Amino acid sequence: MARPVRPLPVFLNLLRIRFPVGAIASIAHRVAGVLLFLALPPLALGLDASLRSEAGFEAMRDLLSSPWRALVGLILVWAAAHHLLAGIRHLLMDVGIGGGLAQARASARAVLVVAVLLALVFAAGWLT
Amino acid sequence: MKLSIYRFNPETGEPPRMQDYDVAPAAGDKKLLDLLMRLRTADDSLSFRRSCREGICGSDAMNINGRNGLACLTALEGLKEPVVLRPLPGFPVIRDLIVDMTQFFAHYHSIKPWLIAEEPPPERERVQTPDERERLNGLYECILCACCSAFCPSYWWNPDKFIGPAGLLQAYRFIADSRDVATAERLDFLDDVYRLYRCRTIMNCTEVCPKGLSPSHAIERIRIALLKRSS
Repeated sequence: MARPVRPLPVFLNLLRIRFPVGAIASIAHRVAGVLLFLALPPLALGLDASLRSEAGFEAMRDLLSSPWRALVGLILVWAAAHHLLAGIRHLLMDVGIGGGLAQARASARAVLVVAVLLALVFAAGWLT
Repeated sequence: MKLSIYRFNPETGEPPRMQDYDVAPAAGDKKLLDLLMRLRTADDSLSFRRSCREGICGSDAMNINGRNGLACLTALEGLKEPVVLRPLPGFPVIRDLIVDMTQFFAHYHSIKPWLIAEEPPPERERVQTPDERERLNGLYECILCACCSAFCPSYWWNPDKFIGPAGLLQAYRFIADSRDVATAERLDFLDDVYRLYRCRTIMNCTEVCPKGLSPSHAIERIRIALLKRSS
């Protein structure tokens, strides 16, 4: 069979594909998971430092009080909230709850919105 | 009506490009396929597959404004312009909107898409109760157009190992069939981290199925069948 020598092109430009809300919730679930994984070691070290002595606690508090670092904290809170909610959504779907298209769309939208709201509520608590 | 269509000619060696068209729909042009056929009379180099023009053969699946669908079932009315047409995502492009579906059909073949019944066939048909027949609804209607598998991120990243939503829906069609005796073997074959469990329940398949089927539901049923068997 005559085949072109060159490999055939593949169209897979993700920016040109219109993703449904379920796909957006799914990719956010992954991104959140990666962020949480990467953040775990520094957060554990920070917790360790803050528990070791009063000076360590003060040092960690100062470190986290700058707005720039608070933003990092905010993103991590979003990541934890989104990952948790999206995970619960998948657990429910795995036992046969909410697997219909309309329900799955609604729950994906709810996960996306509620995770951001939780992060904002947390931020409001942080700043006051 | 303005269109922007993915063009690729393997003979020139040039990379794929987008070509703009402007074509006026004639009276009676209702679906995107009508317009593509009109376009082809003006530019006969434009290549795409089509056959039945009514959503039964599954030939004219393509990416329409970022979503997979059948050109023959996509109404011109309400389509956002320019209508951007690209080949099915993740599939090797042979020419323009024509993709190589070899791997897709190899996955379909791997699930043994035929009835396995040991005893010789009876004088008349193998009878089913109305309830048993009812279980095949939503499964047997699949036309293998590949809209679902070509919209599935899990299939994009593992097209060689993950069976994909179309193949899994077909697999469940035979698992659910009361006349089929090979359910255990079928489940054994599917019980694999790649073949079945690459599905992440994103549900892009169900979002784009032009026949309104739910491959994600079929996959859920297979998982539950495997779970019940293991407990």
